[in-house]
Amino acid sequence: MSNIPANLKYTKDHEWALIEGDTVTVGITDFAQGSLGDIVFVEMPEVGSKLEKGKTFGVVESIKSVSDLYSPVTGEVLTTNAELEDSPEQINNKPYESWFVKLKVESQGDLNELLSPEDYEKVCQSS
Amino acid sequence: MNLRTALYPEHEKLKAKFCPFAGYDMPVQYTSVKEEALAVRHDVGMFDVSHMGEFLVEGKDTIALLDALLPNDMSSPSIGKAIYSPLCREDGTIIDDLIVYKLTSDKALICVNAANIKKDWTWISQVADKKKFSDLKVRDLSSDYSLIALQGPRSEVILAEVYPEIKELQYYSVIQIKDAIIARTGYTGEDGFEIFASHQRITELWVQLLNQGVTPCGLASRDVLRLEVGFPLYGHELNDEVTPYESGLKWTVKLNKDFIGKVALLESKPQFKLIKLILEKGIPREGYPVFVNDQKVGVVTSGTQSVVLQQGIAIARVKLEVESENYNIQIRNKFYPAQKITGSFVKGGHK
Repeated sequence: MSNIPANLKYTKDHEWALIEGDTVTVGITDFAQGSLGDIVFVEMPEVGSKLEKGKTFGVVESIKSVSDLYSPVTGEVLTTNAELEDSPEQINNKPYESWFVKLKVESQGDLNELLSPEDYEKVCQSS
Repeated sequence: MNLRTALYPEHEKLKAKFCPFAGYDMPVQYTSVKEEALAVRHDVGMFDVSHMGEFLVEGKDTIALLDALLPNDMSSPSIGKAIYSPLCREDGTIIDDLIVYKLTSDKALICVNAANIKKDWTWISQVADKKKFSDLKVRDLSSDYSLIALQGPRSEVILAEVYPEIKELQYYSVIQIKDAIIARTGYTGEDGFEIFASHQRITELWVQLLNQGVTPCGLASRDVLRLEVGFPLYGHELNDEVTPYESGLKWTVKLNKDFIGKVALLESKPQFKLIKLILEKGIPREGYPVFVNDQKVGVVTSGTQSVVLQQGIAIARVKLEVESENYNIQIRNKFYPAQKITGSFVKGGHK
């Protein structure tokens, strides 16, 4: 069974979100990295660009597949994790430390729509 | 409901991930594509490729049929050799690519791609009928044989524990041993063997090889391995629309004999060629457009991240007249520089 930390929120597209005030840190879940296999490439958005909830903001590639990343909330990109571009394999090893972007969230309403760990576990079970 | 190979229960025990391929549910990976590919490059791995097709040709006219059917020379290679060839239509386009194993002077096994079994069988059996050979029997034994490809530098040591006779087997050769047909062939560029036998025998052998420490490998690592050594794959580099001359297979076309498609090939004007590209950054995938400067010149037919090189590699079909060393591959909305290479991306260690 994949690891689903209790302090995070989730999307049905297998992103995790750490909420700290109006800053949201985004990564992909243990389930997602397990399904993708060996991750070898990531493509990040520009710092300062605006991401829309549910829209793609980047790409993660394993040896054999390409997957879009979906933003859990609408907001501006404050910073991206450049380390992931140099060593994308750390996403496989430490999915919850391998954040992609930090966003300044626009609407509190977006946060309320994110999935609880319990609800996300159900998503994984039915995937 | 997809078909399953005889080894399906073994793959389930190993918790393989499956994907549909050529009407079968095939193991695509067991643990990790990288670990599996590296096992084949440095140690030994095995693939269940039982979905592939086998046709048996028997009778005094065996070689005559094969020579009429295939562009490559079937009569000169001695008994016990394996011969790679495309299978072409009258117009020179490629129906499939295959390996002929010359078992005896009047018996040959043809191994074809799983996705093309029906198409090939229809073609080959029709040609065999039309030619009115006096002594010829062609049978589709695809559902009778299972097939393991054992690949990697330690293949010989491992397989010799089961079949000591294989130590003498030369590269691209074949022998019949007791209950199996064993060829020193493969699709990875490494030394290795392909073992054709009954479902029961192959299941026993799979378990035995597993117990000897062989890494089970899925179709994903198989695709990376073949691409690293530049081998074409039907449906990607080869298809119903292109000829051997447009697909890097000129070396398989022997014009000093007659075969189906020869006339068309002699008159044909190739439009395309295949080139190999390597990238510093970015991973090319099938269908991505290829440019010289900002002019589109072709398309990626296969692409992946090389496990050995840890760089993106691709085979691309480009216009014949393009003569550049430097290309751009469009990945999503960006251009990534790609360099043409000659030879293979990774040098395999086959004998």
